Amino acid sequence: MIGFSVEVEEKNNYPIVHIKGEIDVYTCPALQEKLNEIINRGELQVVLDLEDLQYIDSTGLGTIANTAQNIQDQNGEVHVICNKPQIKKIFEFSGLEEKNITLYDTKSELVKKLG
Amino acid sequence: MNNTTPLSMDMIFDAKSEFVGIVRLAVSGVASRMSFSIEEIEDIKIAVSEACTNAIHHAYKTIENAKVTINILIYSDQLEIVVKDEGVGFDTSIIGTPKQQQQSESNMSLGLGLTFVESLMDKTEFNSTIGKGSVIRMIKKVPQIS
Repeated sequence: MIGFSVEVEEKNNYPIVHIKGEIDVYTCPALQEKLNEIINRGELQVVLDLEDLQYIDSTGLGTIANTAQNIQDQNGEVHVICNKPQIKKIFEFSGLEEKNITLYDTKSELVKKLG
Repeated sequence: MNNTTPLSMDMIFDAKSEFVGIVRLAVSGVASRMSFSIEEIEDIKIAVSEACTNAIHHAYKTIENAKVTINILIYSDQLEIVVKDEGVGFDTSIIGTPKQQQQSESNMSLGLGLTFVESLMDKTEFNSTIGKGSVIRMIKKVPQIS
């Protein structure tokens, strides 16, 4: 669907999930499956790179929130790199940032925090 | 309400999630030919996707051969989109309440879908009858150039 892809980069101390295209009710099961794989192997710092994401709605936010919730008890966090105003607006509107989900404008901002 | 006769476009599709992106693309195409800003077009895309997702995931659940109908009405000063299903229906009074969020969290939609529709569009109407189906009507006003 419109070039949706989800790929995991493993060369850092934490996995970076690069998501391209659109996250909606059709594509979010594939994203959920990939995120489940990551947290099931014990990762507690999960980075989502949304720089090439074109669209997200409440089903996509729900998928990300579900992942964050699953690692919350072990002090896990989801870090989201996102520079598109419309996508940031949806995150801010959802109130997810009050949970263990942090937004960053750039990858370098994230590296400053996670190393 | 605008009284002039609108241009109209209708779509009927199987209640399958793969069609939501296609509907979004079609509505985006219509909106982009009006005077909406990019941000407003994005708002419309999200609102129509949320309404379709509600029909597919929540209204029909396991009902087979279900259809969703979209009516798009193009007025000179507004875009009106109507999303109809013949699914299980829902209690419209719970939209935006903690009860709705609780009910929706099990479906991982955060309970935000219909709240997004309400917030991102200028006018919305939710009509639903338990066991009969739902109609979600949403309007975005074309920005006036002063």
